[in-house]
Amino acid sequence: MLRLFKKKKTKVVIIGLDGVPYSLLRNLINQGRLPNMARIFSQGYFGPTTVCLPEISSVSWTSFMTGTNSGTHGIYGFMDFKPGTYKLYFPNFRDLKATTLFDEIGERGKRSIVINLPSTYPAREIRGVLISGFVAIDLKKAVYPLSLLPKLEEFKYRIDIDTARARDDHDFLIQDLYETLKIREETVNYLWKNEDWDLFMVVITGTDRLQHFLFDAYVDKTHPYHQAFVDYYEKIDTFVGRIYEKYTQLEAEKAFFMLSDHGFTQIKTEVYINRWLFENGYLKFNTNTPKMVTDIGPGTIAFALDPSRIYINLRGKYPLGNIDKKDYNRLREELKSAFLEIKYEGESILRQVFFKEEIYTGPFLDQAPDLVLLSKHGFDLKATVQRDVVFGRSILQGMHTYDDAFFFSDNNEVCKNIFEIKKKIQKYFN
Amino acid sequence: MTKEKRNKLISLNLEEKISISKNIIKEAINKFGRDKIAIAWTGGKDSTTMVWLYREVCNELSIQLPRCIFIDEGDVFDEIIEHIEQTRRKWDIDLTILRNEDILKKIKKIRDIIKIKELNDRNKKELKLIGFEGDEFLFEPESYVGNHLMKTVPLKIFIEENGIEAISTAIRWDEQEAREDEEFFSPREKPKHTRIHPILHFRERDIWHTILKYKIPYCRLYEQGYRSLGSRYNTQKLSDLPAWEQDLESTPERAGRGQEKEKIMDQLRQLGYM
Repeated sequence: MLRLFKKKKTKVVIIGLDGVPYSLLRNLINQGRLPNMARIFSQGYFGPTTVCLPEISSVSWTSFMTGTNSGTHGIYGFMDFKPGTYKLYFPNFRDLKATTLFDEIGERGKRSIVINLPSTYPAREIRGVLISGFVAIDLKKAVYPLSLLPKLEEFKYRIDIDTARARDDHDFLIQDLYETLKIREETVNYLWKNEDWDLFMVVITGTDRLQHFLFDAYVDKTHPYHQAFVDYYEKIDTFVGRIYEKYTQLEAEKAFFMLSDHGFTQIKTEVYINRWLFENGYLKFNTNTPKMVTDIGPGTIAFALDPSRIYINLRGKYPLGNIDKKDYNRLREELKSAFLEIKYEGESILRQVFFKEEIYTGPFLDQAPDLVLLSKHGFDLKATVQRDVVFGRSILQGMHTYDDAFFFSDNNEVCKNIFEIKKKIQKYFN
Repeated sequence: MTKEKRNKLISLNLEEKISISKNIIKEAINKFGRDKIAIAWTGGKDSTTMVWLYREVCNELSIQLPRCIFIDEGDVFDEIIEHIEQTRRKWDIDLTILRNEDILKKIKKIRDIIKIKELNDRNKKELKLIGFEGDEFLFEPESYVGNHLMKTVPLKIFIEENGIEAISTAIRWDEQEAREDEEFFSPREKPKHTRIHPILHFRERDIWHTILKYKIPYCRLYEQGYRSLGSRYNTQKLSDLPAWEQDLESTPERAGRGQEKEKIMDQLRQLGYM
């Protein structure tokens, strides 16, 4: 073949769709609502994946970009306790302990353009361009190189929709999703044209936001926002189609990938794990009106951090630790059995309870939660301490799933979980 | 120090607190000598109160006030400069102004881009020390990088060049959680020196009681509703009421200062975390 003699530049394009379930895409494709993705997916491998635990964006996208699990990359959630304390901190890109796909191909001289990838804030140097995604507070700390900032300000670039307003005002939600998608596409077009690149990646996070606030509208065809929900997906389909169109015109060896970082499903009930621990005598607070999990009191045996991470209050590890190492395994077994017994309207809520060594490996295993819960679809685990019952609802309508995320490769690469994807991409640059 | 001990000190009355502060200052002067101490004066309410406490002690001991240092991080309110200048004259303060000239001469305004390759060796070395690896950064005195270059570096150089053994600063336990671990005398490394914290046990309210009772000069921004003064670009007032008339006990003093952590928590909350 010609390519053996004349090696062309390789270009890889990746579109991330935050929180988009495989089953939902399949369903909308079958209904004829996503013509571009239907056509694109028919030309390669499109299948479901499982992700990391807990199944949240910060951990999942980090697992994607490093190809490792939390025991190696060090990110276990959106928040964590500072070692030896009950003080919260919010792990960010600086806390990442593993190298990323972009760093590694950068070492080989390959330039990446990365737009809106969660867990890359504050932006730091990569070979190429990085615009951080959620959680990213301040745009000027979310852009590398800084010389790009004036251009983004000209686009009125935004990192996320205004979730504070959107959660109560669904008309605003829809409008803000469209506006944000439009700006994201302008940014894609500008960087595609004006930058030299080998890898181009953009993540859409609006899908996750829509589903948190309006997943009922997807399931229920009579829902007042059902049409708006599907319309947004059609917009996403158009966005994907236009990028794919540009991709087909590239004169290079090339590969096109799409993926999501977790699935989504409807909520039957939220489950307040810390309330359960409190009611069952495992968790004590230092106040009658706890506001945060940091209000842990003496006598605590175990506590939870969002969404499903359980920590044993070990002596020597925490200021009020009162569990001896010798009781650790017995206690984990006890908790595991007790958790598996939790039922809601006669149905047990959990699928599995993992000990840390079953799901994490690597040098940062000691920072891992001692147990991680995996719930059945519909049971949304939460670690809030401001509830006085174990089960309840909030304004949220959709919850993440560990399975039913998706992966697509136009070269028929097969991937069944998020940890494998990096390797599949990287080999195009070897 | 235990939480109980801290809480006991915080709950003392004002005169008891002032007396403790004066004893700490006396102990510091005994231990380090007047010439080896520098008082970090920001022009804010706390450090001006601290300077006043030093003055009281020095008057009792009939010695000269240790020298004061003011760090010009490049975005100081005019009102602070005015307050510093008036008070310096009134109290005859030996004032040294510390600045990172290398950076300041390269920028015109906040958020100007600074190219690393144009910086002097000391600044380059300091950036490496804190793990900064980029080619450029935006000039902001209160960012991680900015704070180090504009405040920490000039202070380090001052300590090294003047054989300073102790720096007195006006931090307080009740300002923020991160201060809980501080003691009245806290050792510091790189460069090795001691931090003296004579008013750690004061609450925000105690500061205003002291200022109003002893007619200590204060910056007029507090009259306009500012509660805590940082860099101009990163500081907002919390109310139109003078600081001392605000509800100090149930509103956060530093809420008008750059608060990324709170914003992160808020965004996470909207999506059901926290």
